Amino acid sequence: MGTNNNKTNAAKRGIFTSAGATQKIVVILVIVALAVFFSVMSKPFRQYATLVSIFDYSYYISFMAIGVTFALITGGVDLSIGTGMITCGLVGGYVIAHKAMPVGVGILVALVIGLLFGLINAMTVAVMELPPFIATLCSMMLARGIGSILTGALSVTWPPAGSEQGWVRSFFKYKTEGGLLIPVGFLLVIIAVIVMSLILNHTRPGRYIIAIGSNKEATRLSGIKVRKYQGLAYLICGLFTGIAGIAYSCTFQAVAPGSGAGLELDAIAGAIIGGTSMNGGYGTITGTLLGVYVMSLLKTGLPYIGLQSNWQQIVTGIILIIAVLVDVLKNTKGK
Amino acid sequence: MGEVILTMKGIDKTFPGVHALDHVDFELKKGEVHALMGENGAGKSTLMKVLTGIYKKDSGSIIYEGKEVEFGNPREAQSAGIVIVHQELNMMNHLTVAQNIFIGREIMSGKLINDAQMNRKAKELFDLLNIEIDPTEKMGNLTVGKQQMCEIAKAISHEAKVIVFDEPTAALTESEIEELFKIIRDLRAKDMGIIYISHRMDEIKLITDRVTVMRDGAYVTTLISESCTKDDIVHAMVGRVIYEEPKVKSNVPKDAPVVLKVEHLKAGRLVNDVSFELKKGEILGFAGLMGAGRTETARAIFGADTKESGDIYVNGELVEIKSPQDAVKSGIGYLSEDRKRYGLAVQKTVAENSTLAALERYMKGLFIDKRKENEVTQQYIDSLKTKTPSTDQLVVNLSGGNQQKVVVSKWLVRNCDILIFDEPTRGIDVGAKSEIYHLMNELAKEGKSIIMISSEMPEILRMSDRIVIMCEGKKTGEMLIEEASQESIMHAATLRD
Amino acid sequence: MKKKLLSYILCAALVGVLFAGCGKKEESATEETTETTETTTEETTETTTDTEVLNIEIVSKGFQHQYWQAVLKGAQQKAEELGVKINFVGPNSESDIADQVQMLNSAINAKPAAIALAALDTSACLDAITTAQAAGIPIIGFDSGVPDAPEGAVLANASTDNYAAGELAAEEGYKAGIGDRVKNATGTVRIGVLSQDATSESIINRGLGFIDKMAELVTADGKTVTVEGNDKFVSDSKVEKTSGADVVIEVLVPAQVTSELSSIDCQTLLNKSDLIAVYGSNQHSGEAMVTGDENLGKFGIGDDKILGIAFDSGAVIKQAVKDQKFIGAITQAPVAMGEVTVELCVKAAKGEAVSDVDTGCQWYTSETMDNPEIAQNLYD
Repeated sequence: MGTNNNKTNAAKRGIFTSAGATQKIVVILVIVALAVFFSVMSKPFRQYATLVSIFDYSYYISFMAIGVTFALITGGVDLSIGTGMITCGLVGGYVIAHKAMPVGVGILVALVIGLLFGLINAMTVAVMELPPFIATLCSMMLARGIGSILTGALSVTWPPAGSEQGWVRSFFKYKTEGGLLIPVGFLLVIIAVIVMSLILNHTRPGRYIIAIGSNKEATRLSGIKVRKYQGLAYLICGLFTGIAGIAYSCTFQAVAPGSGAGLELDAIAGAIIGGTSMNGGYGTITGTLLGVYVMSLLKTGLPYIGLQSNWQQIVTGIILIIAVLVDVLKNTKGK
Repeated sequence: MGEVILTMKGIDKTFPGVHALDHVDFELKKGEVHALMGENGAGKSTLMKVLTGIYKKDSGSIIYEGKEVEFGNPREAQSAGIVIVHQELNMMNHLTVAQNIFIGREIMSGKLINDAQMNRKAKELFDLLNIEIDPTEKMGNLTVGKQQMCEIAKAISHEAKVIVFDEPTAALTESEIEELFKIIRDLRAKDMGIIYISHRMDEIKLITDRVTVMRDGAYVTTLISESCTKDDIVHAMVGRVIYEEPKVKSNVPKDAPVVLKVEHLKAGRLVNDVSFELKKGEILGFAGLMGAGRTETARAIFGADTKESGDIYVNGELVEIKSPQDAVKSGIGYLSEDRKRYGLAVQKTVAENSTLAALERYMKGLFIDKRKENEVTQQYIDSLKTKTPSTDQLVVNLSGGNQQKVVVSKWLVRNCDILIFDEPTRGIDVGAKSEIYHLMNELAKEGKSIIMISSEMPEILRMSDRIVIMCEGKKTGEMLIEEASQESIMHAATLRD
Repeated sequence: MKKKLLSYILCAALVGVLFAGCGKKEESATEETTETTETTTEETTETTTDTEVLNIEIVSKGFQHQYWQAVLKGAQQKAEELGVKINFVGPNSESDIADQVQMLNSAINAKPAAIALAALDTSACLDAITTAQAAGIPIIGFDSGVPDAPEGAVLANASTDNYAAGELAAEEGYKAGIGDRVKNATGTVRIGVLSQDATSESIINRGLGFIDKMAELVTADGKTVTVEGNDKFVSDSKVEKTSGADVVIEVLVPAQVTSELSSIDCQTLLNKSDLIAVYGSNQHSGEAMVTGDENLGKFGIGDDKILGIAFDSGAVIKQAVKDQKFIGAITQAPVAMGEVTVELCVKAAKGEAVSDVDTGCQWYTSETMDNPEIAQNLYD
């Protein structure tokens, strides 16, 4: 602090900006490097179908990750999104398959269930002020149980592509008359990223969610209803859990009750790799999306070079440690 | 100086057991910088909290711009134009400067926040104040001084008419202080009323127009800064009648051996080249105002914070203290001012706490020897006269004074000959206080050496054999008890070079 | 204050949900039992006169796959026919071993005439099995039964011979095209096996049955064969491992049972240029084959297509067989299994001698799947 004649503040960006931006660039480079590496190493990887597959398996994680980024930015976390997503897919599929409802109703049901979990988390975390880790751990278990009970512990099959009720799957993968598969779900993800980025960075709710994560007490003293906006973050997370549930069901068609635990970690890992801080206050939706693609690329790509899913988990773990380390270093430098 | 903008009359406030404000009067004019001075606990902060609606007054009236007002919370006060620039800054480090200034009242265009407009407005504010800060910079990247300027800008953007500065220079560098003063003079020229809380005597003469002095929750006097002397202010601050008899002369023989010698100790901003000696059987008082660096000095000696440089000698031998463990090995014990946080495991028993620092001596193989543990605990319960039903009592159930004794016994069990008491009687009632005093005297008589950090002037004068006075990380005075007086201590405690 | 109130409301709501949930469960349970008991009582009054209604507790592996619904159906049919009362339970998922043990204990406490058990984990059930033995309650195994149970604990098993089922898949697949391709091949060809895990007895046997039989058929046609991939399968199969064999059988097992990982495993196989066929040994693997092939479109019956063989049914697999994406699939006979299970239980309860029954399995294709004999064993 001794000599600080930094007249050109704009030129001298400190740790609170640069680390985030650099991380994004690094992540993009990692994605490019991985893609090039897999393409060089494996001929079958260099086909259009591989790209479609990468997208296929990225949709549900993308939506979960977009939602959980909001919870992470408030300095919290939402562990219920994995089993919550499966429950949304299960119950939505159940009303279609066993109650003869049109697909539209199933989608609506999935979204409502997602919002309900968001509401429960908002209540426990923001209103009752339980630690987010514990509160969402509870709702994670709730979700698993509720999904099984509501569907009678039956696995549920969503309408197949091509069938009359299967139109929803075309939202994610469109088959042209010539049989070409177009991963249109990517557009949905991009739309979600744009809208949520706008909300996070250019609206009051987004601004206050960041402020809460940065300094909750100061935000309160600024006269902002902290509970309302903290709760809102979890509601957004819940809504995206519902959307992810639909994406999952459309990708895999069959949804099994009792599953889903652990999938939330993929989404959280994506967000962290994308530069979202575990301590709250910083995170971008675009970064999160990039992080998710790192995960998807690894999942899809490693088997092509002969490494089974066990290896994918090890590599992901290592990358995650590096990402968290960057976050920690960022914060210690800040002090 | 213009007309009166704010008058507080007969403000009275009682907390359970404490008469915090005793019919205090205060007046502020437009275009005036009015200093509010007093020792720690004189009631300055409480008065400001009553003004801004954090506390409700019991009686009295606040007249603001000719009307009687009572604010329910700081926000109401803010919108009426009374703003506090806090000592601890309330900033959201991840947001930009402009976003911080306009938090809660963003400039919108439709549903979206108009950041460009906010940046422009912030720039205008800074231009008005003649400060150079980039509104798009993240708050966390600014220095503390710059952050404070942002707080001021934020206050002005609220169309403030009265700004309260609570020890604004405490964390600033020399050049930052100059810049701050320039801004304050500017604000004064713009006819704002400014309340300036500070411990720094020289600043009072430099920047303020009038000084109101408070002592023990009561209004003492208001002086004109230009015409009064430093002595006048000090006298007003400490001019109380001391009921407890001060120590008249030191109990330590002149030739007593030096047990602890600290030379040129440096650790951060608040421990700047501190040197002193402690003799066997001596109670060395550490006096000073809040933020003088006394606790920091103690923590650096004890190894709780890392020191940058300086040597520590125990019984004439140079010791390397890098951690509390090292300090304990050298026979130094530290009794924290915050007993519950640092000194005690309150949910544990008296016995467990007493042997915590020396547990290895009470082991039988892998297990704790309960019998031996109880024996030694009982021994210290007896010698310190700790009031506890048994050695198994949970510490949380004891009174503050007895908790303090358990902490003492912990260090005595560890055979510590040098004890650092940090605010030993804080939060302890009057009866228990004298017991603690008695205990410290007994310990000194037995040959233990004590450093006593205290912010209470009567306590310093009653207990110390010798007094070291600190101000802003530097030792600004040292005197034997025979030469010490309230005035001389306060002079040294407000000395800046 | 407000916060407290909200907490109370939330707690109340949670308790409400809890009660509603319990209420609902009881309701459905009673519905089921009343259904059976009603018919039961009718039957008993007609047929039997002296004996009380027999109670049979059936502890399954859960309802996660519709397969179990078919077992339940068969069991209910038989119970009606014989005039006994059954209580069919199962845990939420096939990994909830502890839950199943608890259900088994509850079943024993109900003092039934017999217990039917499809153990998720034999060792976890041992204590309970001993208790049942001491109480004189006969235990009948079904589905995968109670593998490695102590001598005499399980009186008989009603199960699919999974090894034989795997063999059937190999035989029919060989007939349906694999054989021709192996015989006509100029270079090495590859046959993929997708296995959900390498721990479950039934799934391992289905895989081994297929591998061993396939190797036998290939060798009979004068070609050499080897196995690679998952260690468990490589070491347990009877095939001798050689390099440079004409036919390579490759077994893939995912690190974790998720749809995604299994689908990716399938893609990995499909992307190998020498692949001619894939066998998925249960419903999960079969469904993963459908998802994994979705973007590649390689399964089918044409010359340039890869032959897909699945196991069990479910809407997704049935559709794939119907569309001739898969050349066929093996279905167990869950309905028959349910029936036989109840039959064995009743016999055992009456003290009659019982012995193991293979409830059989069937090969189905797009042509035969509507055959009533087969259709009753296919479920959505």
